[in-house]
Amino acid sequence: MEKKEFKSDVDFTVRIGGEGGDGVISCGELFAKAAARTEFHVFTYITYPAEMRGGFSMIQIRVRDWTIYSMGSEVDYLVVFNQEAYDNTISDLKKGGMIIYDPDAVEVDESLDAVFFPVQLTKLANEATGYDLGKNVVALGMLGSLFNISKSVLQKLIKDRYGSKGTSVIEKNMSALEKGYVEGEKQSIEKKFHLKTENEKPTYMMLSGNEAVALGAIAAGCRFVAGYPITPATPIFETLTKLMPKVGGRAIQMEDEIASISALIGASFAGEKVITPTSGPGLQLMGEQLNLASMLELPMVIVDVQRGGPSTGLPTKTEQSDLKFAIYGTAGESPRCILAPTSVEDCFYQTIRAFNIAEKYQMPVILLTDQSIGYRKATVKIPDFSHIVEIFKDNVLRSSLIPSAERMEIVTRVIPEKEELEGYKRFKFTETGVSPVSVPGMEGGQYVATGLAHNEVGKADYSPKNHLEMTRKRFKKLKYLSKAFDQNPPEFYGSVDSEIGIIGWGSTEGAIREARYLAEEKGIMVRHLHPKEISPLPEKQIRHFLVGLKQIIVVEENYTGQFAHFIKAKFGVHPIELHKCEGSPISSREIMAVIEKVARITDEEHITEL
Amino acid sequence: MKNTSQNYKSAIKPVWCPGCGNYAILKSLQKALSELEIEPENIVTVSGIGCSGRFSHYMNTYSLHGTHGRAVPTALGAKAARPDLTVLCVGGDGDGLGIGGGHIPHAARKNVDLTYILIDNRIYGLTKGQSSPTTPIDKRTKTSPYGVYEEPLNAIAMLLAYDTSFIARISSLQMKEMVEILKEAINHKGFSVINVMSPCVTFPVLGYDTVRDLIKPIPENHDPSDKLKAMQLAYDDTKLYTGIFYKVQKPTLEDNLNKQIEDAVSVEDNQKVTVEELLEKYV
Ligand SMILES: Cc1ncc(C[n+]2csc(CCOP(=O)(O)OP(=O)(O)O)c2C)c(N)n1
Ligand code: SF4
Ligand SMILES: [Mg+2]
Repeated sequence: MEKKEFKSDVDFTVRIGGEGGDGVISCGELFAKAAARTEFHVFTYITYPAEMRGGFSMIQIRVRDWTIYSMGSEVDYLVVFNQEAYDNTISDLKKGGMIIYDPDAVEVDESLDAVFFPVQLTKLANEATGYDLGKNVVALGMLGSLFNISKSVLQKLIKDRYGSKGTSVIEKNMSALEKGYVEGEKQSIEKKFHLKTENEKPTYMMLSGNEAVALGAIAAGCRFVAGYPITPATPIFETLTKLMPKVGGRAIQMEDEIASISALIGASFAGEKVITPTSGPGLQLMGEQLNLASMLELPMVIVDVQRGGPSTGLPTKTEQSDLKFAIYGTAGESPRCILAPTSVEDCFYQTIRAFNIAEKYQMPVILLTDQSIGYRKATVKIPDFSHIVEIFKDNVLRSSLIPSAERMEIVTRVIPEKEELEGYKRFKFTETGVSPVSVPGMEGGQYVATGLAHNEVGKADYSPKNHLEMTRKRFKKLKYLSKAFDQNPPEFYGSVDSEIGIIGWGSTEGAIREARYLAEEKGIMVRHLHPKEISPLPEKQIRHFLVGLKQIIVVEENYTGQFAHFIKAKFGVHPIELHKCEGSPISSREIMAVIEKVARITDEEHITEL
Repeated sequence: MKNTSQNYKSAIKPVWCPGCGNYAILKSLQKALSELEIEPENIVTVSGIGCSGRFSHYMNTYSLHGTHGRAVPTALGAKAARPDLTVLCVGGDGDGLGIGGGHIPHAARKNVDLTYILIDNRIYGLTKGQSSPTTPIDKRTKTSPYGVYEEPLNAIAMLLAYDTSFIARISSLQMKEMVEILKEAINHKGFSVINVMSPCVTFPVLGYDTVRDLIKPIPENHDPSDKLKAMQLAYDDTKLYTGIFYKVQKPTLEDNLNKQIEDAVSVEDNQKVTVEELLEKYV
């Protein structure tokens, strides 16, 4: 199986680049959707310009006959609409790769080792539609022909996308598509890959990471979202505002992030499963209310789609730099859980898990994703709905199963039994720290939830003993959660015998995985751990992973090595830190380069014995 | 069993200074609720931070004592999630016009169906006597040792400008009238705000005498849908008019959230979509 993982028969990457307004992204998305109808996996990555129009934007699509872990380092097919796109991306073209370009807009370097495929996109678009705008659809038709995609599939996708714009728009697009197909057939170029499909019953959804979070929330039973738009989290909010009412839920745009999380506190207090999507600056504004949620022991899920910081920073670019803020960033010590999904599919399932943990342990859960995972699109297996296990009143702290397509567990907070409502103690001391929580409407369940230090019934109590006991109670939940994490089987990839270990978190999983394959091809054995639980950490698993390692590399996309600090402090190791802080995702090649260097290190002082 | 005020009292004794205007408000609210016969378990009381913020502790309801300035959006969340509940919100002049002032226009615009008791003692009571957004000009307080230089905010005029659908003013000296106004406010469908002038005896910027001298009932012939007249009354700074300034009916947040559901399902054969069906749209 592993073999197939790094050598597959079908594995290629298409990149389409152009100006912001060229329709580059929709061209790529439709191509990706068509490809996702075959038996292959599809993965896309998008960068938008910060400006609304103009500026360079591109979409990259990778198609493979096996799970895809990253966007790939090199491009097999490059489609460029203008000179800027060409100049920006030509260095990523694989030797012998194909350049599809508009000769009226792009000057190419003919000495390159590449297959040149000139298509007069603008001219053809004008012939078909009367104006320039259809050139993305001409390009789509051309790709359709190049990869043998059934024309009917693309026609249907165009109808679905532009149907609301009226028949004349559809017709123009159809004729642009036709032009593209005809042009593609004219050129006698070898068709290497075939994306033809008759198969109509799909097993995959084609989702962005952001969409996966939104759908995961709904699948988890969340019916309340309050939020405030912020790039790159806005698509989660947009998707939820669109879908929530369709399932009978409520979606509200608030005046700011403080109001958003406040509304979550009110709604969660009233018994709902709640979510708010945001990015770093928004998370920061939420700080005080996040504390309150920990103090009132209210379940809620906050998604931080990280972007480049600090301040307004790089709103449309990726970074993993909110980690410490997410874990520690509020006044006082308030327990919360941090999860970091590692792929688009994982965004879906970790969101469900985030709700399960929030509900079960009655605390806020922060889901840390980032721009690169949020805007990347990939195939996600549709869960088997006959295997949804709904758990109410679950106070048993056995390991919470990680939701998967095969089996999903949906947890809802534990409520008091009738007899517990006699002299009800909302914040009752229990073995695990979790106490049954009443919901408005329950007779006898009235209590005061206060941000002041309080005793078991909720009354303000500043006594030293009570403060210590209550702090202990809240942190006990975190301890039990950590125990639950530790019950998951120790999960790392690669050989037990390897002396080099790589630890990463979040969206870098695919790149690290591929770097490991590259290393193994060269005979360097590497072990890879990618915890999805960031706080509390699955300590046992990490200790197990560290055993026998001579050198540890911690990979992350920030400047200061936030996760590495955490690992150093907790486990007393001295990892080699690989940071990337350029606003773009780290590639497998960049990681591979470091693995090779580390493998060559003989210098004893760099070697940490464990 | 007939509901009495007693049913709405929690086991916690208020810690307010003896003579504080807040006692009268608490009593009036409990009386109003008992007369409206709303079950305590179906009430959510959210309060902010301040002396007035302690309100929720003393109510036998589902009570939430949150953070400074965020009571209104918190209460809004509870009402939006559970329209079946009666949601009350209480906070001070600092809480609602200072730190939390930015939330009020939005609650008014959304017209969330909750009753907000904005207790105005013209001072920061809990933190022991600093100036507030309603402290009168020239007044010396601990943070205005040479007197306040700015003019105070006019809460009623602001609420009118925000198109708040129910606006009233009353004082702690008028318990009987307060009970009636509270009942009307709670029955009102929409964002109802009652600005209660409440003396602080410890930092007496607003003393009982001042209130007694300034209050004057709104003329009986005032038409509460007449916004311009209401504005005139609000700007009369020789008097503190009490009674209902303004009252109109318009769709509430809950109405609109229900409408949003109707609109969203209208394109789906008027059927709610199952999660399974939703996911299949993404293939
Ligand atoms: C974020 C934050 N800033 C400041 C405070 C300190 N603080 C507590 S109450 C208060 C003012 C209260 O005044 P008001 O809202 O008028 O209530 P009152 O005590 O007069 O009833 C302040 C400044 C706080 N608790 N939280
Ligand atoms: S300080 Fe003033 S407002 Fe606060 S309890 Fe005492 S009298 Fe009431
Ligand atoms: Mg005050």
